[in-house]
Amino acid sequence: MFFKKNDIVILLIAIVIATAAIFAYNHFAKQLPVKAEIYHNGTLVKTVSLALGVDKTFSVPEEPQVVFRLHPDGKISFEKSDCPDRICISSGKLGRAGQSAACLPNGLVLKIVPVGKEQKDDVDIVIGH
Amino acid sequence: MTKRAVGIFLSFVILTMPLSGCKTEKKRYQAQFLNLFDTVTEIIAYTNNKEEFEIYAKMIHDELKTYHQLYDIYEDYEGIVNLKTVNENAGKEPVKVDKKIIDLLKFAKYAYDLTGGKTNVALGAVLKIWHSYRQDGTDNPQNAKLPPLEMLENANLHSNIDDVVIDEINSTVFFKDKDLKLDVGAVAKGYAVEQVAKFASDMGVSSMLISVGGNICAIGNKDEDTPWNVGILNPNKEDEQKNLYVVNIKDMAMVTSGDYQRTYTVGGKQYHHIINPQTLYPAEYFTAVTVICEDSGLADALSTALFNMPFEEGFAFVEAIPKVEAVWLFKDKTTKYTFGFEGFIKE
Repeated sequence: MFFKKNDIVILLIAIVIATAAIFAYNHFAKQLPVKAEIYHNGTLVKTVSLALGVDKTFSVPEEPQVVFRLHPDGKISFEKSDCPDRICISSGKLGRAGQSAACLPNGLVLKIVPVGKEQKDDVDIVIGH
Repeated sequence: MTKRAVGIFLSFVILTMPLSGCKTEKKRYQAQFLNLFDTVTEIIAYTNNKEEFEIYAKMIHDELKTYHQLYDIYEDYEGIVNLKTVNENAGKEPVKVDKKIIDLLKFAKYAYDLTGGKTNVALGAVLKIWHSYRQDGTDNPQNAKLPPLEMLENANLHSNIDDVVIDEINSTVFFKDKDLKLDVGAVAKGYAVEQVAKFASDMGVSSMLISVGGNICAIGNKDEDTPWNVGILNPNKEDEQKNLYVVNIKDMAMVTSGDYQRTYTVGGKQYHHIINPQTLYPAEYFTAVTVICEDSGLADALSTALFNMPFEEGFAFVEAIPKVEAVWLFKDKTTKYTFGFEGFIKE
């Protein structure tokens, strides 16, 4: 016989561990956290990590009159803006990869993206805003 | 023993190889533009390097900009005869236009016939009234008003699409009814995205997602064997914002029409921008309708048409068209979809 009995046992153990590793990897990958990116006229001007339990407001220097808010549930929204239509504010809270909201009059786009390298399973874009 | 250790090590390497991906992979890049079609344009693509992506992104931006300027009914652009020029002059004499306008209007007439008039670009006179009431209502919410029905009905006397005369040989447009106005909002974005996606494919793009304000067109897969993942948002704000569905698409287009887009509030009630050509008021059947099919222009026209039809009528209508799928989100937050839609659902 080409294989010794022990080799087969070890191979089987290796398969089990590798399978477990793949499952663990997939499981972990699906729970990868997200972050928010803020673009001004198409250029990335700020990246914000979305952590649970944080409640604060902030602006970006490019458009100080527009206020963003981080919510304790790990989401982010447009809080205040001087734009006439307020479409940005009515977009509500965002917290899932692929979601985005924009304030066209101020040239701002808020976008949720996964932290780290993108995965095949990531949602690329969300429609229906 | 060492041999065995090497053997075990190799087994691990081989078995875990699928995790690392040994090919040289194309990288993901994205760009966004805020200056087109009064909405957000997003381009996502997998290319060999950043330079390659930037060439494609610029090419697509410039092409979309051409369509944007030609199909604009509100702004003038120096040296360009666009639909604003057509609206102002085609009631007096034939206006010579770019072929891209002729092609859009031909498509719009096709969409009108296909949808039994539920998508009508000749409804401009009615939509113009809604547009100005919505504008005033947004600028001055205390005095927000609804347009009187009589005013809408009078405008609707000038919405016969057969009065839009297209002369392909001379490349002109003429309105037999001088008070007719075009509003291509229900078809132009989707049509432009379709044409630009075709152009991009011809230029060698094999993996790209183009979105112009939610008019989505997928070119190819996102990589060799993974389709694009598109989330359909649950627009109910009080719910935790989740995707209703995530769908897998390859070489497909998707468009959503929703009652939460471009709204204004009168007496505590929200009114949106999709006007039912029958009632001349915003359609109230659904919260949103999403259409998936191969042609982005058709998806745009059909999502508007379905939004303006009761569910049973729309379901029968869309099931009779091959390779078109739809999902309806009702006001009570339930959903229904066509038989083939299930095949696109990822989770």
